[in-house]
Amino acid sequence: MRPRGSSMKYMDWTTFSIYIGLISVGLLMVYTVDYEEATIAGNFFRTSAGKQAIWMVISVLAFFLITLIEWKFWQTFSYLIYGLSIFLLVAVLFLGTNIKGATSWFTFGSFSFQPAEIAKFGTSLALANFLSTYNADMRDIRTQFISFAIFLVPTGLILLQPDAGSALVFMSFTIMLYREGLSPIYFIVGGFLAGMLLLGFVFDIEYIALGLIWGFTLILSLNLKSRKWWWALGALAFFATGILFIQQDLFQLVILLSIAVFLLASLVVWRHKKGRLAFMLNTAVLVGIGISFLANYVFYEILEPHQQDRINVWLQPSKCDPRGSLYNVLQSKMAISSGGLQGKGFLNGTMTKLNYVPEQSTDFIFCTIGEEQGFLGSFGIIALYFLLLYRITIVAERQRSGFSRRYAYAIAGILFVHYIINIGMTMGLMPIIGIPLPFISKGGSSLLGFTVMLAVLLKLDANRGVG
Amino acid sequence: MSDSFKKRQIIIQLIFLAAGIVLVGKAMQLQLIDSTFRNKANATAIEKLTVYPSRGVIYDRDTNLMVNNDPIYDLMVTYNRIDPNMDTSKFCRLLNINEAFFRESLEKDWRSDRFSPSVPFVFMSKISAERFARFQESLYQFPGFFVQLRNVRGYSANTGAHVLGYIREVNKREVEQSEDVYAAGDYIGATGLEASYEEILRGEKGARYVFKDNLGRIIDNYQSKRRDVPPKSGKDLISTIQLDLQAFGEMLMANKRGSIIALEPSSGEILAMVSSPGYDPNDLVIGNEERGKAYLQMNRDSLKPLFNRAVLAQYPPGSLFKPLVALVAMQEGQLKPNRTIRCGGAYYHNGMRLTGCHGHPTCTSVSMAIQHSCNAYFVTVFREVVDQFGFDQPQIGLDTFNAYLNRFGMGRPLGVDFPSEKGGNYPTSRYYTDWFNKQQEGQRWNSLWIRSLAIGQGEIQMTNLQMVNAAAMIANRGYYVIPHLVKGYLNSDDPIPNKYFQRNYVGIESEHFEPVVDGMERAVLAGTARSAYIPDISVCGKTGTAENSGKDHSIFFCFAPKEDPKIAVVVYVENAGFGGTYAAPIASLMIEKYIKGEIDPARRWRLEYIKNANLLGNLP
Repeated sequence: MRPRGSSMKYMDWTTFSIYIGLISVGLLMVYTVDYEEATIAGNFFRTSAGKQAIWMVISVLAFFLITLIEWKFWQTFSYLIYGLSIFLLVAVLFLGTNIKGATSWFTFGSFSFQPAEIAKFGTSLALANFLSTYNADMRDIRTQFISFAIFLVPTGLILLQPDAGSALVFMSFTIMLYREGLSPIYFIVGGFLAGMLLLGFVFDIEYIALGLIWGFTLILSLNLKSRKWWWALGALAFFATGILFIQQDLFQLVILLSIAVFLLASLVVWRHKKGRLAFMLNTAVLVGIGISFLANYVFYEILEPHQQDRINVWLQPSKCDPRGSLYNVLQSKMAISSGGLQGKGFLNGTMTKLNYVPEQSTDFIFCTIGEEQGFLGSFGIIALYFLLLYRITIVAERQRSGFSRRYAYAIAGILFVHYIINIGMTMGLMPIIGIPLPFISKGGSSLLGFTVMLAVLLKLDANRGVG
Repeated sequence: MSDSFKKRQIIIQLIFLAAGIVLVGKAMQLQLIDSTFRNKANATAIEKLTVYPSRGVIYDRDTNLMVNNDPIYDLMVTYNRIDPNMDTSKFCRLLNINEAFFRESLEKDWRSDRFSPSVPFVFMSKISAERFARFQESLYQFPGFFVQLRNVRGYSANTGAHVLGYIREVNKREVEQSEDVYAAGDYIGATGLEASYEEILRGEKGARYVFKDNLGRIIDNYQSKRRDVPPKSGKDLISTIQLDLQAFGEMLMANKRGSIIALEPSSGEILAMVSSPGYDPNDLVIGNEERGKAYLQMNRDSLKPLFNRAVLAQYPPGSLFKPLVALVAMQEGQLKPNRTIRCGGAYYHNGMRLTGCHGHPTCTSVSMAIQHSCNAYFVTVFREVVDQFGFDQPQIGLDTFNAYLNRFGMGRPLGVDFPSEKGGNYPTSRYYTDWFNKQQEGQRWNSLWIRSLAIGQGEIQMTNLQMVNAAAMIANRGYYVIPHLVKGYLNSDDPIPNKYFQRNYVGIESEHFEPVVDGMERAVLAGTARSAYIPDISVCGKTGTAENSGKDHSIFFCFAPKEDPKIAVVVYVENAGFGGTYAAPIASLMIEKYIKGEIDPARRWRLEYIKNANLLGNLP
């Protein structure tokens, strides 16, 4: 038995060190971005970096405060915290402040916070608690339904704000659900649908249909034992591609031909007593084409040009105006790229100084790291996040309490989605979604929120022997 | 609970690892491998430069250049790239500005959306080519500044200022309403052909994307120019103006106030459009450092040189109106060509002398009445038209009469391709009914009250364009083509509007024109317009004299030759007296110049006389 109460002795110092490392980097980066401001303002504590420093101190204090709270508190009150965060998400829709088109902030004087931050924490606790009940089993449809409901309710409320970025973060709970036994089929189907959706945004429906049909025909043909079928299908594919290259006008003919070949292959496979596979692939083709068609229709007929731009910036940047919609990403990529291997050095970033990158101290803070610290810096930060996530999985797996393990995976998922999307966005890999880089981006409520999440995890871990 | 999924932790860790590797890979590509940005180590921004198209030039009908393009330079600046230690005094010396101007030009409202310290704005516009040449050598010493080439207008012929119009900078409202066609600082046609054909002439702006370093210097093209959009030059306009004739007309109108319009009756093409006093188009060229002053001066000038009298001024047509009255009366069956109406030196009604006339032989036909411009004859005829449905039904008669005027192109803008054309006026029956009602409830009006309309006086007003259009209509014996200034576009098959080809028939049968044309010919041969006589060209014309506060306005409209007319002319000289004194000889010179190319030596004295006449002293 380990002693209860504040147990600094049993704190996971590895995780804590990485945490301190990340918030220190954050402070330095905020300082360098607003360096000029700092020299003008005179009083350090009035600058962005000064405020960030104060928040850093508050966060570290909060961290230790949490280690003083009885660890059972979090599981006991998990539904209450969840309920409170749902209440706040509803309330913010009516009482919140509208910033940049989204009603997602409560403002009290100069202090403002997003209930979505609390909701992430509350949902983690509630989901972990629910799955720890006696008869919860991820293979069971009822458990699946309630688990999805627990995180989809806040997701829906956040979409009403609307804040697509924060809503996306809630998808990270599927990582924990996977660990707890959610079938991979969900991920395959979900991945397929998401993929078709994205393809539908970019390509013409005919090409998607053709690609799907031939891809699945290939899968079907691999399930045929007889070589002669292989040859027949291969020849037909060759023929169809040939027509396509020579005569664009015969496109519809090629599609019809492909459908015929696909159906033929399905029939043959079905005869080979693999009716289920044939049925599945046929359904997939229909659903896939349907989704792409829908995406295509929505993209060209419903979305406004500026919304189309958002998607194009991510998927087809060459179509975008470098001084218009593409500007942010381009400038961000240029800033990162200009850092080279070693970077320009602390406080020496030129693009930083001249305000060429928008939102530089918040969502685009990684640019500053890339520009001033170079590839070594970028690599270091990414490695640090990976270490943190890896360490959390190790911590998770050593818990005796199922609640603590599930909570740990939930936190890992949230941090993972945040950092991948944020850094990916600054390098043009991900769409422009305004979510902060955990522990580094400027902003008190986000720093405090992540700190609390991590602190609770370490407190649970410190008492892992007790559960 | 047993944990049968413990192995899944490895998959999750692998996902974390894979994602991290992807990010590191992308960072590596951006920071170590990719040359798109790597080679531009100092680049700080991609900027979009506007590439201005050259504005279409304007030719006369024989493709002689009337308006060309001259280069001019705008000095642009990006505020946060200015070197704080730059040599300001040298900079100001090179540009011939003082330091106060320098400071003021840089002090912008950074909080407004219009300016940003990182977006270039115009520091100083319209630097002439010569000043730029001196400045350019030192440009590299002043980071943050760069130069943009623009085109402004140049006029080699110094002719046709009113017709051509001028260009100016767009105003804020135009920028807002243009849906991204115009940006602040762009040029737009302000008046004349420049305004009417703005969309044709302006072309389309292009764009160039470049990398710039932190000093604002262009380092390289973005994506090897793949995103660049080349500008599209404006189309060159061929106008209907004949440069020689236009210049000749302007010379004739020197020191007189009024206007000349000459057009080709069969096509409606305007050959010359003179408004006097005019101005030198070079005075309003953008880049002329005195431009603002010149504009202000012209705006204040009591002679209103900026006012285009050809389309904007509306005058009573005076006796010019008589041929039109005759045409309507004959078409309405109220007048036979050989009718005799006695004139005892005035129009008498019940023994009362009402409208005075001048001494002339008794008119025994319509042509003779036009030849001598008999007031009594036309008042009688006009009243008969108005009273044709009964003396107590003048409103039906007047409306019938007015319907013809409308078809002649009066009382409404004709639709010339020139901005803000005025429409003139003819009084309607409703107008009189209302007016008389206001004087005394229930009072009726009759044809006697409105008799002065018959001789083109009273409420009736026409623009010079409508007058020349009427002359063309008579020359064509019954139709006109809307007068216009565009002939086509150089190197382009774009059609000009169909309305400039259409014949507009006015509803008068051609047989009724012969007495009128004869009368106009006789007026020149042996009537009121003898001063318009040219020995071997049969000119058909009609004088007019419009009374006003000062000396009478001298008016003349005509066409020539009588058969197969080549030109119709209207001349309006303000405060010059009787129509035959100035307007008629000016018109005859225009005709001779156009048809023969030059003035016969035997008539040079007339040219000299007109050229040297200064009538500005006659103004009230």
